[in-house]
Amino acid sequence: MGKWLKEFVKGLVVSNPIFVLALGLCPSLAVTNSLDNALGMGAAVIFVLLCSNILVALIRTWVASIVRIPVFIVIIATFVTMVSLTFEAYVPALYESLGIYLPLIVVNCIILGRAEAFASRNRMSLAVADALGMGLGFTLAIVIISVIRETLGSGSLSLFEHVLFSLPVLDEQPVSLFLLPAGAFLVIGLLLAAFRRAGLIKNE
Amino acid sequence: MRFNVLKKFYAIMFLTLVVIISAGLLSLTYSLTAEQIKLRQHEQFLGYLTQMFPEMTNFEYNNELYSVYDGGLLLGYAFTASKAGYSGDINIMVGLSDKDTVKGVLIMSQTETPGIGTRILEESFIGQFTGMKINDLRLRSEGGQADTITGATVSSRAVIEAISQAAMEKLAGINGQG
Repeated sequence: MGKWLKEFVKGLVVSNPIFVLALGLCPSLAVTNSLDNALGMGAAVIFVLLCSNILVALIRTWVASIVRIPVFIVIIATFVTMVSLTFEAYVPALYESLGIYLPLIVVNCIILGRAEAFASRNRMSLAVADALGMGLGFTLAIVIISVIRETLGSGSLSLFEHVLFSLPVLDEQPVSLFLLPAGAFLVIGLLLAAFRRAGLIKNE
Repeated sequence: MRFNVLKKFYAIMFLTLVVIISAGLLSLTYSLTAEQIKLRQHEQFLGYLTQMFPEMTNFEYNNELYSVYDGGLLLGYAFTASKAGYSGDINIMVGLSDKDTVKGVLIMSQTETPGIGTRILEESFIGQFTGMKINDLRLRSEGGQADTITGATVSSRAVIEAISQAAMEKLAGINGQG
């Protein structure tokens, strides 16, 4: 149980996929312009990561090593397509706003990375812990980035069409730079620097 | 040598098996969601049609042309147009208030560059079509009345060309109905 907890917690802070491993930056730059998008992306990534880690851990002793990468990619692509079809059917607004970045989860290096580096070498229960920790760590990171970007870039923060708060001056003159890709680079860079300065992140 | 061949055969069989299972799972998911997706798309389309004709109660569809009614009263026509813009297709709905006057143009979906190509969504561009005669739905350089956007030529040109091509194709259908 101690080991399980250790594998789970590592993804949240010490090996946070975005802030420490700097993996999967493409979706985190692209979809973090609103909190809704970040949560939707986070949910999709957690689901795909969990399913692929479980399956990879289950078949790890039978998979022939020369075809392991194609096998992992087929598994991941299958789950991503399932998520994509489900989103299109039941949450079309989210499907529209995630756009191309939903199918692109297939090539998100966090997922293939965890399959190859962790799930294919550990038993299933640990792979579940790893997937949940990494998935939640990814979600946490993109939520932090999106909260900053949406607040500065549009002057208010909303969650599923409920406005949580809006800032007095920024509301009328939002810094729309923060909604553009350049704003994402700035926010991620400054956050990384701040976390390092505060000692939250250490070089492994 | 023999061992190696066996190993390779096993690897190929394993991958094939994974792909077969994956295809099965995908067709299952597809068949479970296909109806719902179709329903959503239809609802979305109806939403655009009501946005164009708020008084709409019913419509008829034939020859790719929608005839929109308020009870028995003919409100106008609508058709869709589509053309590749700067990145991906731009899907457009055109509403006509009578046989040759545009009531309005709506962009249903697009994936143009944010801040540049997306200026085709702005009223200053999309609003120019309102009230335009169908014969004027061409670029100004080609004898029409439609203007492109400076700096977003590819995207705005695609919109104009999509509309004029579709209008020409559908015009026959409208006239055919008298």
